[in-house]
Amino acid sequence: MQQLSPSVLLVLVPALPLVGAVLTMLLGRSLRSRAHLPAVVGIAAAAGVSLVLLAATAAQVGNSSDAHPEPVRPVEMITTLWQWATVEDAYAPPSGSEALIPGIVLPRDTSGVRAFSIPVALRLDPLTATMLSIITCVGLLVAIYSIGYMHGDPGYARFFALFALFVFSMSMLVAASNFLIVYVFWEAVGACSYLLIGFWFRRPEAARAAKKAFLVNRVGDFGLAIAVFLLWMTYGTLDFHDTLSLDGTILPGILGQTRLADAGGIVGGAVGAGICLLLLLAACGKSAQLPLHVWLPDAMEGPTPASALIHAATMVTAGIYLITRSAPLFMACPGALAMVSIVGATTALVAALIAVVQNDLKRVLAYSTISQLGYMFASLGTGTMLGFTAAIFHLVTHAFFKALLFLGAGSVMHSMGGVIDMRRFGGLWRVMPMTAATFLAGACALAGVAPFAGFFSKDEILTSLHSKAFPSVHGNHGPESPAAETAHLHLTSWMHDSSSALHANSTYGLDAIDRPEIWQILFWMSLVTAGLTAFYTFRAVFMTFTGPTRVPEEAGHHAHESPAVMTLPLVILAVLSAVAGWWLFSTHWLSHFLSATPSLTAPSVARTVVPHLFHIDLAIQGTLAAAIGIAVAAIGHLGRRSDSPQMERFLGPLGSLFANKFFFDQIYTGLIVRPLEALALLAAIIDRSVIDRLVDWIATIPIGLGAIVRQLQSGLMQRYALAGVMGVLMIVLALAWQLRG
Amino acid sequence: MMSLLSVTSPAAPMSVLQNALIVGAILFTLGIVGILARRNLIVMFLSAELMLQGISVSLVAWSRYHGDYGGHVLVIFILAVAACEAAVALVFVLQAFGRTGRLDASAWQSLRESNLSWVVDRELPESDTVPPLWPTLAPAGVLPKADEDEPLQRKHV
Amino acid sequence: MNPLSFFSAADLLSAVGPLSAVGLLLAAAVPAGAASLWLLLPRGRKNRIAGWLGLALGGLSLAGFVATGRRLGGVGEEAVFLTVSLVAVVSAAATILTRSPVYCAIWFALSLAGVAGVLLVLGAQFLGVATIVVYAGAILVMFLFVLMLAQPTGMASYDRVSSEPLLSAVAGAVLLGLLTLAIGRLSAGPASAPTTDAPTDGALASDSLATDQVARLGAELFGRHLVAVEAVGTLLLVALIGAIAVVSRGEATAADADRARQRTAVP
Repeated sequence: MQQLSPSVLLVLVPALPLVGAVLTMLLGRSLRSRAHLPAVVGIAAAAGVSLVLLAATAAQVGNSSDAHPEPVRPVEMITTLWQWATVEDAYAPPSGSEALIPGIVLPRDTSGVRAFSIPVALRLDPLTATMLSIITCVGLLVAIYSIGYMHGDPGYARFFALFALFVFSMSMLVAASNFLIVYVFWEAVGACSYLLIGFWFRRPEAARAAKKAFLVNRVGDFGLAIAVFLLWMTYGTLDFHDTLSLDGTILPGILGQTRLADAGGIVGGAVGAGICLLLLLAACGKSAQLPLHVWLPDAMEGPTPASALIHAATMVTAGIYLITRSAPLFMACPGALAMVSIVGATTALVAALIAVVQNDLKRVLAYSTISQLGYMFASLGTGTMLGFTAAIFHLVTHAFFKALLFLGAGSVMHSMGGVIDMRRFGGLWRVMPMTAATFLAGACALAGVAPFAGFFSKDEILTSLHSKAFPSVHGNHGPESPAAETAHLHLTSWMHDSSSALHANSTYGLDAIDRPEIWQILFWMSLVTAGLTAFYTFRAVFMTFTGPTRVPEEAGHHAHESPAVMTLPLVILAVLSAVAGWWLFSTHWLSHFLSATPSLTAPSVARTVVPHLFHIDLAIQGTLAAAIGIAVAAIGHLGRRSDSPQMERFLGPLGSLFANKFFFDQIYTGLIVRPLEALALLAAIIDRSVIDRLVDWIATIPIGLGAIVRQLQSGLMQRYALAGVMGVLMIVLALAWQLRG
Repeated sequence: MMSLLSVTSPAAPMSVLQNALIVGAILFTLGIVGILARRNLIVMFLSAELMLQGISVSLVAWSRYHGDYGGHVLVIFILAVAACEAAVALVFVLQAFGRTGRLDASAWQSLRESNLSWVVDRELPESDTVPPLWPTLAPAGVLPKADEDEPLQRKHV
Repeated sequence: MNPLSFFSAADLLSAVGPLSAVGLLLAAAVPAGAASLWLLLPRGRKNRIAGWLGLALGGLSLAGFVATGRRLGGVGEEAVFLTVSLVAVVSAAATILTRSPVYCAIWFALSLAGVAGVLLVLGAQFLGVATIVVYAGAILVMFLFVLMLAQPTGMASYDRVSSEPLLSAVAGAVLLGLLTLAIGRLSAGPASAPTTDAPTDGALASDSLATDQVARLGAELFGRHLVAVEAVGTLLLVALIGAIAVVSRGEATAADADRARQRTAVP
């Protein structure tokens, strides 16, 4: 292993699942029941390689204790595979005061005429290493689980091919070092998600859900595309990293170390806010935040392992990744950051409310995913190093316990013969004890019960929110420390540093949102959401696993524990959910590791580093909320039949509001879907009656002509002879005319 | 009266030629019209023979003009060929009559386009058949009673 | 090489005089001929007026052609030639215009007589007689036999109707007009030099009275055209065999059909 350079290893991580996918596509039919082998082996190999890369990167970052919080050096390694597209002399920034975008002053480094070049470059830094490890390891566990879950399905090979393809796309997405390459794989994971949601495409609900997911994602992708355009126009490049031009000058990448070190590197103001809001739109689409969250619950039509991997652990985290990666861009626009948090916290609350009244186990988990992603967005939007690292920490733990919960739900569904409505079964801990135990572990992690993983990550998120809501509380050891305070002044002066067009780069109207009052509201919303999370999670646990044992008739003889190939990943994930959080938190290893990411070493972010302290009061608040939630759930559902009076009836009109998902789907259908359907109908009518009729009419012309000419062939020989004689006459007449003339 | 075959002719050979050619052309054309217009197969072949007659006249006229026997020889061959042709053709006419019971050229239309209907030139009622009335002999010694209304013989063949 | 090369410009100019007259005559004769043919062709019910009008127009047309012939130059045996040619033409017209096929055959015989006369006037003794013997004696009799075997009872509908009378009449008349125009333009150019062994213009005329004209014809026939004569003889044999073969096969199928019918017939 030591002989292989890190760049080769980095290329191997996406390449091995791709090879697995291709082999599965080619050989799937002949491999039959062993069709999982290429994909699983590929992902397993990729997992091993990504762990090696993680270790290598960690060794690079080194250790630094809290005693000497020196600024962390950024760690990155770029591998350029090939030049994808090159257009010479594509970008000529305006000279003098005339700006490309009126009112904006471009950073000082965009000078000269530059070529448009998109290199297929992969990068390795702490953030990427973390994401790659999560993607491949959780992917491996889910793949092993799928061997048992998808056993006997006619599309067995297709599933694994798509699975490996997805792992490849997601790996490339987090490893790409160019915004356009990110966009390509952003779309690729969307396409894989569509294919996997619509895996059983003969079911109309599945096909519809796949279409909905793709189209809603498309709205987000539109935002990303416009953001890419704006980035190109503003910065003249789309690379993250700095590149070396032919004449030896450094072309700074958008998130390259050269630009980040430069005080005037990142553009703020209207353009910056526009870019950040568009990136937020893209993240909302992919991570299912308000108002583009409607696709995720319907995506449960797909196979459960696909839901576990894509809609719990990996794809939906692409939005988090994007915003974390673009942290320096967001730090230049405090208003955009606040928007991120507002969107996140609101989504978390709304999704939690909807989850309270769901009766479908997978739907509960889907809304729970949306809610937890909202948490991560709320944390990202605080704009502090703690916030960013807490979001990634929560991403990691969420990957573990959410995948665990989804796989457990799949196990339940598998043995209940495809029934997933919680009202139809109950008391399953007697039937499937292993699943019940692991599911309980995952539920505790989700609810934030100490010392499970979710507790620590949620606690860090609440801490970061609290630090923005009540800055004075954190004043002694917050960003307002003397060294940091001067740095903060430098920060603001840096933001206002512009030679001309002062107004363009000044604080924008949006920045008015960034007020402590707003942050307080967000904090309390998050706390309430924590309570709701515990409630609906344990409601699901009690309804499913406690009470009198009831098995629906579809189960038949399947009502037994799942095979080992399915329970082993559950156990592994349960162990991870239990210990990973404690270990990562106690060593503070992850936050230190992540702070070496180039995006997060930007001065704007680095200035917000705080020494790690365990805020006991926040921990108590969080635990209290969780305990209240679990207690209310126990009162309502522990030991009872699962079809006893339901939450909707208990909540009255609020219950129906939650059950109807706040009418988002209905609004979208009425505003968007129906007009488009009407337009499509109009187009179809025009196509049928106008265009087709025209073509048919044109087709009748030769037929008509032929019908006329056909009359000549009557079968009567005398008429033929007459025609011959007339022909002769005409020839003779022509000759005679010539001679006469 | 001028001798039928006077030795010397005051008329220029050219005019003889031209007049004879005109006669031949008229016969030829009448033959063509007969083929095109008449529907009875026998009459069609008669018209074909008419055409051959016209050609014979023209050939002999040319031969007279040129002063050699080339046209005569050709006419002899035409004669022979016409005989063969008439024989074989009439055999076929009989076969055709055997198939359809009619000597009508319009009875053979099966080589027409598949979607065209049977062409009937003009519907005429079948001929006013006159029942054959043969002269009958009365018993000996008695004059047969003559009925002016009844035709004694068929008018048409 | 233009096959009509003997139509020289000089001839055109010189022939304008008589040609315009010919043209006028033809311009009158051709439509009259077309109309008369159309009127006289069997077109269903017999129309007396059409018949008389047709005859009148036919006469007019004939007169026009006769005048054309005179215009081109009289013929020595004028009266005789005119008579026999008129006989030939009128009976030929009657052949195609008569309704009953038997009458057609009889008129055809008369036309043969006229043609034989024309041939004799033109100095072809053997051919004139041969026409009568072969055509009228053999071919015509064959036609009559077939008519006897294949006649319908009464007057068939297809005998009383023509197919495309108008177009046929017009086509024929126009063709005749063009032919006559072309004939009128013939001139004694260098291309019309007589053959080497032919004497001057009156030679054949003098030959007509020669007792050995037929012998000379025979010498020509069996001298220069021997192979062709033998071939024609073979042709006659082949036609004979072919006719018998077709007839016997037709009889066989007819016999089969008859037997089949008898077998299935209800007694």
